Parts: sequence; C-alpha cells; structure tokens
Amino acid sequence: MTTAQANYRFFKVFLPAMVIYVATTAGIVWLSDRHTLPAYALYGLTLVPIAAIFVAFWAQWRFAMELDEFLRLIQIKGTLIGVACIMIIASGWGQLERLADVPRLPVFWLLPVFWVTQGLATTFISKREGVF
Amino acid sequence: MKNRLRALRSERNWSQAVLGDHLDVSRQTINAIEAGRYDPSLPLAFKIARLFGQPIEDIFDDEN
Repeated sequence: MTTAQANYRFFKVFLPAMVIYVATTAGIVWLSDRHTLPAYALYGLTLVPIAAIFVAFWAQWRFAMELDEFLRLIQIKGTLIGVACIMIIASGWGQLERLADVPRLPVFWLLPVFWVTQGLATTFISKREGVF
Repeated sequence: MKNRLRALRSERNWSQAVLGDHLDVSRQTINAIEAGRYDPSLPLAFKIARLFGQPIEDIFDDEN
C-alpha cells in the first residue's frame, strides 16, 4: 500500500469520526441545557462520542500499520510525545489540585490537547527528517 | 550507518520513487536511508541486498 493510499484511508475514517464526536458532544450539551434528560439517556447518548473516539484511535492505529517502517516510526514518535504531554498536564495539574488547591481541570480537554500536540510533534519530526 | 544505496540507485538511473516502488517503501524512506538518517530494519536491508544482488555488508557499512 502506498503512503497516499494509507493517508486517504486514514482521513476517510478519522475526519467523519471527529465530525461525529464534535457534533454529538455539542448536541448532548445543547439537549441537556434545554431538557431534563434522565441519567440513563445521558449515559446512552454519551456512548456515541465515546465510540467516535474509539474509531478515531482505531484509524490512527491502522494508519501507522499501513505506513512503511520509517514513516511509522515518525507517527509513533509523534504519538508518544502527545501522550507524554497529556500525562504531564494531567498528572502535574492533579498534583496542583491536591496540594495547591488550584481549580479543577476539565479532563474533557485532554483529548483535543492530545490531537494538537500529537499533530504538531509529528509535523515537526517529519520536517526534521526531510519527509516534506 | 553509511551505505552505497545512492550510488547503486544512480547506476541504474532509478529515482528514489522508483527504488521505493521496487522495495515497497516510500520515497521519503529511501531518502532517509541514503542520507544516513535512518537505518533500515533487517528485512528491508535483505530486500535491498537481494534487489541489487549484493551482500548486505557490501551495501551497508557499520564500521565508519
């Protein structure tokens, strides 16, 4: 499989998954602001964006497996940097919450932070390695 | 690791993309190997050696 084919297959799954994630998240917030939904309905509805996240990560995994070894290494390095950023933010802020009484961090934002840091890190490494 | 991949490719007048097609890897991977920025896995090194009909140690040099 060529890199272009792998890219196409990745974005064909990843972009719709992210659109579903954002749309359903916004939709659930909108609904719960205007209607008193029972807890089981909220839990049930929340399964949709959770499933979208699962699909997005599956697409990411498949993409890495379909690339050749050098490009896969770049993807994995970028993902590790993204994970490291998330763990440092979550764990570091957790310590501050415990010890310094700082405001609670909405963990909802960890996923967007992961995608941004992973994307930036992968782009930076690709540039450094002469991929583009 | 130093290697003779660029020289071997030039002898055949192949572009990096053509060599990549022969080896089932991307042009970027060929570029990284030729520039010494990436050392290929053993299976890929064997593939390269087989394609050019030479032993691995004649193409890759891990001593200099």
